[in-house]
Amino acid sequence: MPNLVLQVKSLTKTFKNFTAVDGISFAVKEGEIVGLLGPNGAGKTTTIQMLLGLMTPTEGEIQYFGKSLVTHREVILKRINHTSGYSRLPWRLSVWENLDVYGHLYEVANHHQKIRELAQAFEITDLLPRRVLDLSAGQTTRVLLVKAFLNDPEVLLLDEPTASLDPDIADKIRDYIITERKKRKLSIFMTSHNMQEVEELCDRVIFLNRGQILVEDTPEGLARRNKESEVQLMVKDGLKRLIQMATEKKWNYSEKNRFITLTIPEHEIAPFLNSISKQSIKYADIQIVRPSLEDFFLSVVEEKT
Amino acid sequence: MSKRRIWGLVLRHLYNFRRNYDRLVDTFYWPSLDVLVWGLTIFALSRMGQTSPLQIKAIVFAVLLWNIVWRSQSELAVSFLEELWSENIANLMATPLRKAEMILGYLSLSLIKFCLSFTLTSVLAYVLYQVNVLELGFYLLLFIISLMMFGWAFGFLTISLFLRFGTTIQTLAWAGIWVVMPFSAVYYSLSVLPVWVQQISRFFPAAYIFEAMRSVLFTGSARLDGVLVSIGINLLLLSLSLLLFLRSFAVAHKNGIGHLK
Repeated sequence: MPNLVLQVKSLTKTFKNFTAVDGISFAVKEGEIVGLLGPNGAGKTTTIQMLLGLMTPTEGEIQYFGKSLVTHREVILKRINHTSGYSRLPWRLSVWENLDVYGHLYEVANHHQKIRELAQAFEITDLLPRRVLDLSAGQTTRVLLVKAFLNDPEVLLLDEPTASLDPDIADKIRDYIITERKKRKLSIFMTSHNMQEVEELCDRVIFLNRGQILVEDTPEGLARRNKESEVQLMVKDGLKRLIQMATEKKWNYSEKNRFITLTIPEHEIAPFLNSISKQSIKYADIQIVRPSLEDFFLSVVEEKT
Repeated sequence: MSKRRIWGLVLRHLYNFRRNYDRLVDTFYWPSLDVLVWGLTIFALSRMGQTSPLQIKAIVFAVLLWNIVWRSQSELAVSFLEELWSENIANLMATPLRKAEMILGYLSLSLIKFCLSFTLTSVLAYVLYQVNVLELGFYLLLFIISLMMFGWAFGFLTISLFLRFGTTIQTLAWAGIWVVMPFSAVYYSLSVLPVWVQQISRFFPAAYIFEAMRSVLFTGSARLDGVLVSIGINLLLLSLSLLLFLRSFAVAHKNGIGHLK
């Protein structure tokens, strides 16, 4: 059984009368990528801040590598790192100077060489002499990612890591993360609003709502909790019969210019296809859209509102 | 304790120092201007026959020594403000850097900037008014130690307030220390002040030093007990301010250090 690199027990954070995180418990295994999802105000950032030791929990315990963050802060922080898509760095310093400083703070051996290697991997070599002040949001995000990988962390906490990145760069960074995970069993705990990214990267997703863990599953497992799929058809003949069928079955549908989209329970898709064939409903094009993680996310947010 | 992490923090501010005109002005411009304005004022008064050359020297020494208090306090406070302004405090506190290393880093930085600033102002005083601060001899070292400790104590008190109230009270980094100046007998002897001011001044360690400075200047020596009392009060103040600093950090952690702005 893989080692647990992060263990959180009954973590709670209360601000006066408001409970931001309400007794959550979870664990991350060595080499595992776990996503923390949830609508705004669910408690994600508060959780990440507590995991970094930037915020004292009201109750509960955080352990990395079997050691308490409270009693082994220095040893633990040397072995982990973090970045947030919304973090900043001293803007008057150049990129090189900033990374040089963090190389010292994390006591990275031969850190100048390491900075050069990472700068190449994240395509920021040409940015090294530039001041942070002169960088775009996407460039700053890449610099922060270099900072996050500087000490070869065993656990990486990423808060919206690819926010403000161009799709091609975001893709390269995801590839880098996957390679690092394979190469040295890097564990990652991340939040993201990019559901495609979460589906691609995460082995497991923890869904947080109102400070509590609503559900914990694989991205596919969460997506499957939404039992309905969308079937899209371009109907050549039999549109009225099809609408009548949807009405009788009480399926939601929308129709425009003979294109119809029906929301059908997963288990009724096959009988539906049989049925339209028997009723000689003719269609030119068909597309079945399986429920995604985003659908699950949206259904929870809708319930919340 | 890691020397490398302490150096990392010092380096972060030295890199900023050479690129930031505001910090260069703080360290070199204001102290130099202070020496220039006060020196010329007292020089003009002496031309009118209202002061003696020794009094010119006393004022110039006072300017040089007061700058030690002011710069020590301000350099500490502004270094911390830099982390808040650049929203870097969360990144910094998520590294293995310990609070003790942070304290030593800021003190080292303050010491480096003191050396630069004090050297410049001392040279200026010598060139402009032929006033040599080294005339204070061994006492100068004791004066510097005591005044720096006082500046640091006030500096950590200021940072503690920033940890609780953020940058809304940032003006304290430059203006805060001036509240102690009237009671520190910087430019005048304590004996000429009202009795109630003299009584309050007993609790201000800098007052003992400025009195001792004038004593060395006018009589060639000073009573060491006053200097030792000053260092003793400073030790107490510095310990209290460091405790407050650590306590304020704990409060900031409770609210979330990343929210500090």
